[in-house]
Amino acid sequence: MIVAAVVLIALLPAADVEFDAGTKAIFAAKCAGCHGKAGGLDLSSAAALLKGGASGPAIVPGFAAKSLLIDKIVTGQMPPGKMPKLKDAEIDQVRAWINQQKAMPVVEVAQVREQDARAVIQARCVMCHGGLRKEGGLDLRTVASRLKGGKSGPALVPGKPEESLMYKRIANGTMPPDAMAKELAVELPTEAETEKIKAWIAAGAPEPQAVAVASDAKVAPDAAKFWSLIPPQRGKVPANGEKNPVDAFVVAKLQEKGLKLAPEADKLSLMRRVYLDLTGLPPTKADITAYMNDKAPGAYERLVDKLLASPHYGERWGQHWLDLAGYADSEGFGQDDGVRPFAWRYRDYVIRALNADKPYSEFLTEQIAGDELSNDWRSAKTASQQMVDRLAATGFLRTVPDPTNSNERGLLAERMNVVADEVEVLASSVMGMTVGCARCHNHKYDPIPQRDYYRLSSILQAAYDPYEWRSPNKREQALGLEAEWKKYQEHNAPLEAEAKAVKAEIEKLLEPVRKETGKKDREILRENAELREQIEPLQKKQQEIRRKMLPPPHVRILADNEEPSQHYLLRRGDPVGFGDPVDAGVLTVFEQVPGLAKYEAKAPYAGTSGRRLGLAKWLTQPNHPLTARVAVNQMWMRHFGRGIVPSVANFGRTGVAPSNQPLLDWLAVEFVESGWKMKAMHKLMVTSKAYRQTSKVDESVLKADPENALVSRMPMRRMDADTLFDSLASAAGYLDATAFGKPADVTVTADKEVIVKPGPKGYRRNIYVLHRRQTPVSLMDSFDQPPMTPNCTERRQSNVATQALHMMNGSITWDLAQYMAGRVIDESEGDRAKVVENVYLRAYARYPKPEEVKLGVAAIADFRKGWPVKLEDTNTAAPRAATAEWMAVANYCHAILNSAEFSFID
Amino acid sequence: MPSSRREFFSRLTDGLHGAALAALAAPAVTFGNGGGSPVFDLKPKAPHFPGKAKAVIHLFMNGGPSQVDLFDPKPTLNRLAGTAPSRELSFAISNGKEAGTIMPSPYTFKKHGKSGIELSSALPHLAECVDDIAVIRSMYGEHANHEPALFLMHSGRTIASRPSIGSWVTYGLGSENQNLPAYVVLDDPKGLPINGISNWQSAWLPPIYQGTRFRTEGAPVLNLQPRAEIPTPLVEAERNLISKLDAAHRGSRPYQPELDARISSYELAARMQMAASDALDLNQESEATREAYGLNDEATRSYGKRCLMARRLVERGVRFVQLYIESQIFDSHGDLKNSLDYACGKTDKPIAALLKDLKQRGLLDSTLVMYGGEFGRLPMSQGPVKSAGRDHGPNGFSIWMAGGGVKGGTVYGATDDLGFKAVENTVSVHDFHATMLHLLGMNHRDLALERHGLKERLTDQFPARVVKEILV
Repeated sequence: MIVAAVVLIALLPAADVEFDAGTKAIFAAKCAGCHGKAGGLDLSSAAALLKGGASGPAIVPGFAAKSLLIDKIVTGQMPPGKMPKLKDAEIDQVRAWINQQKAMPVVEVAQVREQDARAVIQARCVMCHGGLRKEGGLDLRTVASRLKGGKSGPALVPGKPEESLMYKRIANGTMPPDAMAKELAVELPTEAETEKIKAWIAAGAPEPQAVAVASDAKVAPDAAKFWSLIPPQRGKVPANGEKNPVDAFVVAKLQEKGLKLAPEADKLSLMRRVYLDLTGLPPTKADITAYMNDKAPGAYERLVDKLLASPHYGERWGQHWLDLAGYADSEGFGQDDGVRPFAWRYRDYVIRALNADKPYSEFLTEQIAGDELSNDWRSAKTASQQMVDRLAATGFLRTVPDPTNSNERGLLAERMNVVADEVEVLASSVMGMTVGCARCHNHKYDPIPQRDYYRLSSILQAAYDPYEWRSPNKREQALGLEAEWKKYQEHNAPLEAEAKAVKAEIEKLLEPVRKETGKKDREILRENAELREQIEPLQKKQQEIRRKMLPPPHVRILADNEEPSQHYLLRRGDPVGFGDPVDAGVLTVFEQVPGLAKYEAKAPYAGTSGRRLGLAKWLTQPNHPLTARVAVNQMWMRHFGRGIVPSVANFGRTGVAPSNQPLLDWLAVEFVESGWKMKAMHKLMVTSKAYRQTSKVDESVLKADPENALVSRMPMRRMDADTLFDSLASAAGYLDATAFGKPADVTVTADKEVIVKPGPKGYRRNIYVLHRRQTPVSLMDSFDQPPMTPNCTERRQSNVATQALHMMNGSITWDLAQYMAGRVIDESEGDRAKVVENVYLRAYARYPKPEEVKLGVAAIADFRKGWPVKLEDTNTAAPRAATAEWMAVANYCHAILNSAEFSFID
Repeated sequence: MPSSRREFFSRLTDGLHGAALAALAAPAVTFGNGGGSPVFDLKPKAPHFPGKAKAVIHLFMNGGPSQVDLFDPKPTLNRLAGTAPSRELSFAISNGKEAGTIMPSPYTFKKHGKSGIELSSALPHLAECVDDIAVIRSMYGEHANHEPALFLMHSGRTIASRPSIGSWVTYGLGSENQNLPAYVVLDDPKGLPINGISNWQSAWLPPIYQGTRFRTEGAPVLNLQPRAEIPTPLVEAERNLISKLDAAHRGSRPYQPELDARISSYELAARMQMAASDALDLNQESEATREAYGLNDEATRSYGKRCLMARRLVERGVRFVQLYIESQIFDSHGDLKNSLDYACGKTDKPIAALLKDLKQRGLLDSTLVMYGGEFGRLPMSQGPVKSAGRDHGPNGFSIWMAGGGVKGGTVYGATDDLGFKAVENTVSVHDFHATMLHLLGMNHRDLALERHGLKERLTDQFPARVVKEILV
């Protein structure tokens, strides 16, 4: 039987301290409506204030600044919403009253339970005395193991704190030892925490109580009666003659406003749009010619099929997914912003999965719990691509900035931040929920009690155990393809031999001195300058050799600790503000969703908890109210520029309601019932008339549908950073289409501009460029490439002067303009009119009009006149005239690449 | 008149466009009372209430200046010199093996000015300006490491990825000069501070609010000047061609405001080339001014130039200017006196010149100058006696503010007898941020951005108090 121990540290009725008249009136007027005698927190007496509510005591007598009550008031959290706030003078009055209560007896009625003591032990002790390490043979995690103790004997003598080593050593300051605490980023226990351990022992060291079951009154019984929590139903497709259901729903909505679809965009505008949308690359001249010549019905649909089958599809849509995941190639901290070697395996997994049209349900499951699908990877070293991929998929929840490789930055608070960021990634990208609020308090608008935040967070905390933490470089699995191991060995073997030789040289110098003096190496080197001068260059050489070595092939993974710690609700998000213990689970409001199976964590094999696998199973239920809706809405936003739910990461009460819910729900059901196939959804969307509309708009339509919520046209859009970079390189014929693997490096110029290093074949696509958080490529940064903090659910589109400066004056565009000029001159056999045509095809994917040819030819002639003067002092082997023509065409290309038509998509 | 002088310059560089903008100040950015969706541009915005400060110059002192050697005299250190520190104090040092004993300051403190504020002999020039500054001696931070402490000071949290103070200010107030960036960073050519460009990031605020680095040497902005290899007339010819192409493109696509915005951005880029070069041309300054800022002396030249540039920028209506100094110059882990002599030797004279110059031009009343690092230092020694320094101390440190509505000649708050912890009238970094916003006419609770269902603020959800005691 589980025994609940109740220990009273101090039980005194608070002397009946009176409020002053002003304070009393303020509470009565502004607070009593909710915080009367009936509620959780009662503000009707001083004693009740001290007792407090779910977040602990409301005041600290004598210290207004430390009182939760004041905190809530001055931060504007209370009174909530539109209720009248306290005036400054009123706040001062309450402050003054609290400050006067220095003599008020502190009343603390505390039930000391095992879990309260364990919380302290977890925060301060288990890094050394837990599941991963057992210093001195001691494991402090359970009552039994405390009784058993370690090399120094039992740690616990129930009822006798002064005889219990686990209390004595903390109280006398020997535990945790300073040096160890620093190395493992553990902070010293506070006095209050030490007291908790003492009180628990004094109470006879009771066993833990069962964790309270989640269901309680915190979620209103009708909380799930909100549109996004009711599973979608496939409604009837409106019978308005439209063949594509997408159009039928869109037209029905337009008709309500007396609007209709806009005319179809012209053939080449549409071609450019769908190319950039599905592959992120513009069509080539050959593509354009072939498409123009395809006069048979269904040419557009065939084009869409071709693009969806293109390997570039996965690169384009992979980037969208990487935005959601918050992918970057570096840790994000420290002067060196440490690169994450092999992070790219996750990027490659995403691209391959999308190109293979892996069902979204499987795609999600692998990313949330790829490690729990099978344990074959644990014993393997050489692996198939499939095994590597399934494991690399867990990189989805390994993306956020993580400073904890440094012990100075590995404190509990920072570990908790890593977990919180991953929860944020998961919730915003997959669930469309804003859970972050509930980290510190119950969500004010959505039915998410704070406890539920920690239930959700506990799912990840089996792997991201904040108490027995693994730093990022300890979350790697040595695993790779056979070819990778071979390359690694072949590359490193000679270097290792070289390093061994250098080491031998050093030994030869040191060994005799060691023997002679019996001193340690460091001491010898400090004292013996001559020897130091000989050895230092050798050590440098050693380092250089080591730098040249390749890291062993590995996969960055997320996998559980074998025995995860107990988790707690953390009051106000404070990492040591331990409230009640919580079990892993999803938000309890979903228990109200009819027909939805409950979350269940079942270990698929020994050594893992199955919590994440349970989450994946729960999320990918066909009737889940959010998963499919959020996914199709994301796709819709990327295609149409605006989500059906415009707040793509917030399907809650503070989000924006769907502009066309029947459409959203029909798509969501269709998505699930057609096997969660993403390519089918793309095809449905981009072959609709709605997608094929022109972006031209007139005043009446603009008035009737100002934000294009009804899809009365296609929005004109500026290219995002990736599309811009890839299109520039592609137009210039300087795109290296090599897929996958190690990213292309970036370099910082003398001017501190960050630019991409082209390879021998040109620039790789932006998705294959190193994305280091602290050195984003300047051009991309100015075009709103998001800093991953932690992720990006929707890109912003700004138009600012720095973009113009980079495009006009930067080296990348000018270099590319010259490449482009070379290509078009070669293609055009000296005919300037043809040059203009080829430039238009490359940059705008259309043929120029006669007046545009005229303008272009004249411009080139004009540019040509400006070059001979300049070329007088260039030392070029090529004939000057040819160079001048080349440069003139480069000017022309440069202007075209800088024109609005290039960077905007009709 | 200060405002007219600033207005004079912004008219000068903006032409009619700028004057019209100034007259049509947009409504205040506020979400405290359920305001509408925010406008993301740099047009001047009305504050929440009239604020004294129109611009901010943030003199960030990288490394953590030692309060007990500069601003916070502690005679007790002399009395306890050489004695062992408490466990709490010795645990505060990062490497326990380096923990030494209580160490007095190598400098002497003296009262200065009418206010009689005590300053150390390391700051002789600032001593002449004490009646214009308010020293807060009771600051406290949250972390003893540079990175998180810098993040805290710059963005209100110890983590990466939140908008910086300059981004919040320009988001709230826009800029009075449309030809220059609203938020300018003058970093040291010798190297970026810790956390690099993250210190002036806009994070999830739009990138227009990101700090723009103006370099002290060469072209002030990345790619500001046309490529040298393209003949100048051809640069013009390219621009003309782009204008023609864009006009035709725009003409056949009515009602697309994005296209207008893009055309304006290209025009601004061209204007910026002129305006930025002019703003940073220090040859326009008199010899006396150059001398006062220390431009004729090797030790003070680099920082002096940045101080002078800062004045020229705020004079032209730039909203927020941030100055940095050699990566961690105040990080005095060893050789305390030499280290501080070096750091103060580079900065003391130019900073005093800046204060005097702003005052003399009538700009100090409307320009908030803020001086401080990411934390302070410990009262005990670190490392071997001969070359001892002090380790990081986030629990109590000093900063000062001047101008823009700050009551000069004020000292606020106190640390304990050792200068280890702030104990009296303590001021958190959030309080400091709230005070800065208040001086600019903004309520820290109302300057917010709705994001993922949260009202994000510079002060986040933390309690924060305006330090009214240092205001005029």
